[in-house]
Amino acid sequence: MATIITVTSGKGGVGKTTTSASISSGLALRGFKTAVIDFDVGLRNLDLIMGCERRVVYDFVNVIQGDANLNQALIKDKHSDNLYVLPASQTRDKDALTEEGVEKVLKDLEHQGFDYIVCDSPAGIEHGAVMALTFADEAIIVTNPEVSSVRDSDRILGIIQSKSRRAVEGRDPVKEHLLVTRYSPKRAHEGEMLTYTDIQELLRIPLLGVIPESEAVLHASNQGIPAIHQKGTPVADAYSDAIGRFLGEEHPLRFVDYEKPGLIKRLFGGK
Amino acid sequence: MPRRREPRPAPALELKTTRFAGIQVILNSAEHAALDTHLSTLFAATPDFFGGEAAVFDCSRLPADAATPDWAWLAQELKSRGLNPFAVQNASPALAAAATDAGLLVLNDAAPANPPVVEASPEPEPEPDPEPQSAPEPAPPAPATRIIDKPLRSGQRVYAAGGDIVVLAAVNPGAEVIADGSIHVYAPLKGRALAGARGDTAARIFTTHLEAELVSIAGVYRTFESAPDAAVARKPAQIRLADASQIVIEPL
Repeated sequence: MATIITVTSGKGGVGKTTTSASISSGLALRGFKTAVIDFDVGLRNLDLIMGCERRVVYDFVNVIQGDANLNQALIKDKHSDNLYVLPASQTRDKDALTEEGVEKVLKDLEHQGFDYIVCDSPAGIEHGAVMALTFADEAIIVTNPEVSSVRDSDRILGIIQSKSRRAVEGRDPVKEHLLVTRYSPKRAHEGEMLTYTDIQELLRIPLLGVIPESEAVLHASNQGIPAIHQKGTPVADAYSDAIGRFLGEEHPLRFVDYEKPGLIKRLFGGK
Repeated sequence: MPRRREPRPAPALELKTTRFAGIQVILNSAEHAALDTHLSTLFAATPDFFGGEAAVFDCSRLPADAATPDWAWLAQELKSRGLNPFAVQNASPALAAAATDAGLLVLNDAAPANPPVVEASPEPEPEPDPEPQSAPEPAPPAPATRIIDKPLRSGQRVYAAGGDIVVLAAVNPGAEVIADGSIHVYAPLKGRALAGARGDTAARIFTTHLEAELVSIAGVYRTFESAPDAAVARKPAQIRLADASQIVIEPL
């Protein structure tokens, strides 16, 4: 039985694709057979972040429309054995995603023995985003510590609770997880940003993790290597912790407390 | 032997009489232009106030010599504004015939003072409830109070038609709670709350944590561009109407 995880946020630019890449890579590193699907038809990015843009021949829309079969379109990831990428089409628009087509692709992936299917949602609350969350079993809500992002996350949670198949059919609701990204403990401490507890108080869903703001993310994106592979960086550690929590492990939150730099540190630099 | 409630499978289909709440659209004029103008002004500020409620045209105030309204057009106009007209009541035979042609039902002997009741629809209906009503559980009247126990999120809206609403979870910014009666929110109220939506000036709003974007009672509203008094901000508060025109916010 495959578990479908939708990574969504409502707002754009908060780190959905970065998160989809790292969560799917992390699950694959732990030995789960994982597929990650780019639902952002027309603005494909996932293949860039995963570093497989030069290997895209067929895409998600080709599979839905029957121009290619699933195995022709799935790209095996370079960095992890168990991970496959289904890229979005650059030349179509989101209306090309039909509910029946998406459902069939997800079913086919399940029949091929995938454990997890990660759906990277486009921004917004329009058709593409709704298609990405319709079949979700679990949802990771990516939120930045600022009010507009929190408001949009709230909105998308309402849509999950009304439009997902689980909601429409009255089954157990979609399991929701909050992932706060681009978090700066210093700015939160100084009141320039919402704290993760503020965000959680408003959204009232369990916290999966807090990913610190870091230059390593930009570096990872430009290299086409998901941030979770940047060993030793706080971002990679925070994503690993989040995956552990997703799988039911207990990990204390890291990288959320601000320590005032001491005198020595101030004198001799250091980050 | 008295009928006991034994576990038996519910039949696939049951027939019962019902009185359901709907909206009466009372026509004072049948003139196309006058209706058109008034509909536009009425819905200009709140084009999506209704969310698909059933509606009945009431013709009791139409003068006897009135022309026949363009039923199909009128029904379409209301549909586009979120109302679902399905019938006419108190219509003269000529008006009723035109309404039938336009696909509307004709409700007979509907008491004008009452909410619309479907009693004798033209479709043949078997006499409902052949079984005797089981005495131990009289069908409760349509619930006048709505209870919401999940957070209301941005963009969500609930409307308690004809009664009060009790919300046990947060009303987040961008969410809207509307009731014809009073509103009780036992959690942070950060969205909008509109009580007395059909003009009940005695309706009130209660919350354990006032941080609303907007409160309104019977159409009199207040926004919170500037935060409310420190005595009530983020604290338990009651909001009511004084002199039918003044919003009063008091600590609870």
